[in-house]
Amino acid sequence: MKLECQERTRHDCLRILDGRDKALDPLRQSELVVIGGTGFVGTWIAEMVAALNDGYQFGIKLSLISRSTDQFANRLPHLANRPDVSLIKSDVRQLGQFPANADWVIHAAANPDVRTHASNPLDTASVIVDGTMSVMRTAERLSRLQKLLYLSSGLVCGAQPVTVNGVAENAQGAHAPDACFIYPNAKRFAETLCSAARAQSRIPVLVARPFSFVGPYQSLDTPWAQTTFLSDALRGHPIRVLGDGQVVRSYLYGSDAAYWFLRILTAGQSGDVVNVGSPVGVTLQDLAIEVAKNFEPSPEILFNTAPRSAGRSAQLLPDTTHAQNEYGLSVFTPLAEAIKLTAQWHRMQSH
Amino acid sequence: MEHNQKIRISDSTLRDGNHAVGHQLSAENIASYCKAADAAGVSIVEVGHGNGLGASSLQLGEARTPDHIALATARKNLSKSKLGIHVIPGFATIERDLKPALALGVDVVRVASHCSEADICERHISFSRSQGVEVWGCLMMSHMISPMLLLEQARKMESYGAEGVVFMDSSGHFIPADVQQRVETLVNGLSIAVGFHAHNNLGMAIANTVAAAEAGATLLDGCARGFGAGAGNAQLEVLVAVLERLGYSTGIDLYKILDAADLAEQTLMKEIPTIKSVSVVSGMAGVFSGFMKPVSRIAKEFDIDPRDVFFELGRRKIVAGQEDIILEVAKELAQRAKKGNQ
Repeated sequence: MKLECQERTRHDCLRILDGRDKALDPLRQSELVVIGGTGFVGTWIAEMVAALNDGYQFGIKLSLISRSTDQFANRLPHLANRPDVSLIKSDVRQLGQFPANADWVIHAAANPDVRTHASNPLDTASVIVDGTMSVMRTAERLSRLQKLLYLSSGLVCGAQPVTVNGVAENAQGAHAPDACFIYPNAKRFAETLCSAARAQSRIPVLVARPFSFVGPYQSLDTPWAQTTFLSDALRGHPIRVLGDGQVVRSYLYGSDAAYWFLRILTAGQSGDVVNVGSPVGVTLQDLAIEVAKNFEPSPEILFNTAPRSAGRSAQLLPDTTHAQNEYGLSVFTPLAEAIKLTAQWHRMQSH
Repeated sequence: MEHNQKIRISDSTLRDGNHAVGHQLSAENIASYCKAADAAGVSIVEVGHGNGLGASSLQLGEARTPDHIALATARKNLSKSKLGIHVIPGFATIERDLKPALALGVDVVRVASHCSEADICERHISFSRSQGVEVWGCLMMSHMISPMLLLEQARKMESYGAEGVVFMDSSGHFIPADVQQRVETLVNGLSIAVGFHAHNNLGMAIANTVAAAEAGATLLDGCARGFGAGAGNAQLEVLVAVLERLGYSTGIDLYKILDAADLAEQTLMKEIPTIKSVSVVSGMAGVFSGFMKPVSRIAKEFDIDPRDVFFELGRRKIVAGQEDIILEVAKELAQRAKKGNQ
């Protein structure tokens, strides 16, 4: 990765940590393991740990477990080659080699790509469900484990009812048991496994429910709204918005999310469930406008003619009251800034 | 009646119509029709071999005009209308066919599979989307699965990045209630546009397409004079007129699309599609309309009734790309008839 991109992500982490580093003091001189550590979340956590170690002398030993450590090492040598970072190549379902002295574990293993969910729903479910079972069995053997954070999904409570402004952690909804909802339903069951492991084996596990993120390290070929808008604009094409553009989503920047996860891991009580995301909604139309502002000439914004189904919720936002009140978390990088930073990063990376 | 809904018309004359002339449309044919369709304000003009990009072959019929010439010619003659292609993974590969086609200026890629095989479209849809062109998924022979299973397949295409899903009545089997049920299921279950492609085996192409629009479909296919495989497609100029009467907005100039249809009749067609007896049987049996010519030819060769061939193909659930089976079926029927006569 280009040096200027590395500097940008480091700056993003230091900006978040400024005045907030003390809240992560429990991580000092400890060993942290991230399973599924080479994806978007794992990479940002690695960036944040590197910033804590270099900027604040935290002395954290970080292990990243993933099936794709080789690609990670090729893509991000500035992280992979650090002496405080170890890469362990392993499938989450067969965790043979696991750091025995782990103090903290974040279980983030799952493929968030909707294309994989559609084509390989059984494999998607297996990674989530069998993987979580494997993590819980492994955690039973960790004598120093202080806490294990499971990264679930903001989708586990089903579609957001039109009557609420944000999905709270105690929402009671669920998706239909259809193949197309394999990801949220498997995540939901994995949460149940976490609960069972806590009840049966006394594993100190808590759950974070990520919503939507934005930032460097997100692949632009994923068919999500903001990645597609950025990809269109970077190619100099018009930005195409599906439907009428009135669907509402929210986005939390990568370095914000990494800080949120570490804060919840270290400060949370076993059994807690916490939404991770931005409560500030944006219509896809406004998101497209925000993306377009970062390009010259400004790309045209096109809408297709798909009518929105009556009764289908047009909004998916987290209620982050709990994260704010219990953990002092909020959005540190406003959306406009997040989009700007992401667009600049991709531009630097491609030049 | 006034509808706020805008309909995008995709004109398949120069693609589906190629089936009707053994894929023998010339570059001159393509140039003149593209000009006329463009002048009429057609949203998308689809161009290519009847089975889509990269399908020219001995088995499926060799195209008179190679893909790159057809697309370059169309591109040169389309200014307002978008240039569309039909892509069936397997016939079209990304490296050999899709990349060069996009380089020639294709705007809309319609990636198609048999209705139950959307998985095969993942790479082609994802690649097209990543290149910044508009991409739709098409589910062919859609009468062969239930509306619920059709939705499952359409959702896969949506997940891969398709911005619209068109379901195709490739054998002209549907009646309006079938279409309405499927469109409603898709519109309720998807976040992307829903479209419909009709064939006229049972004389229902216009009625079915209107039923699709009334149920919420916004991407509609049609062909000038119905020029397409078998009994033909929804007759484009009629469809535009009916939609105009119903108050839908298509952005198409009626007089100019009528002129384009006249031109198509004069320059593209050996004969205007009609619903021949075998087409009715093909529609009843649920067999791909494009089989009409080979079935008629092979049945004649074996001195058997082509209607029996169609019903047997329908019983075996044969789909496009399995043209070889026609011969096998004809042989079997001929042998059966011979035994019966002994």
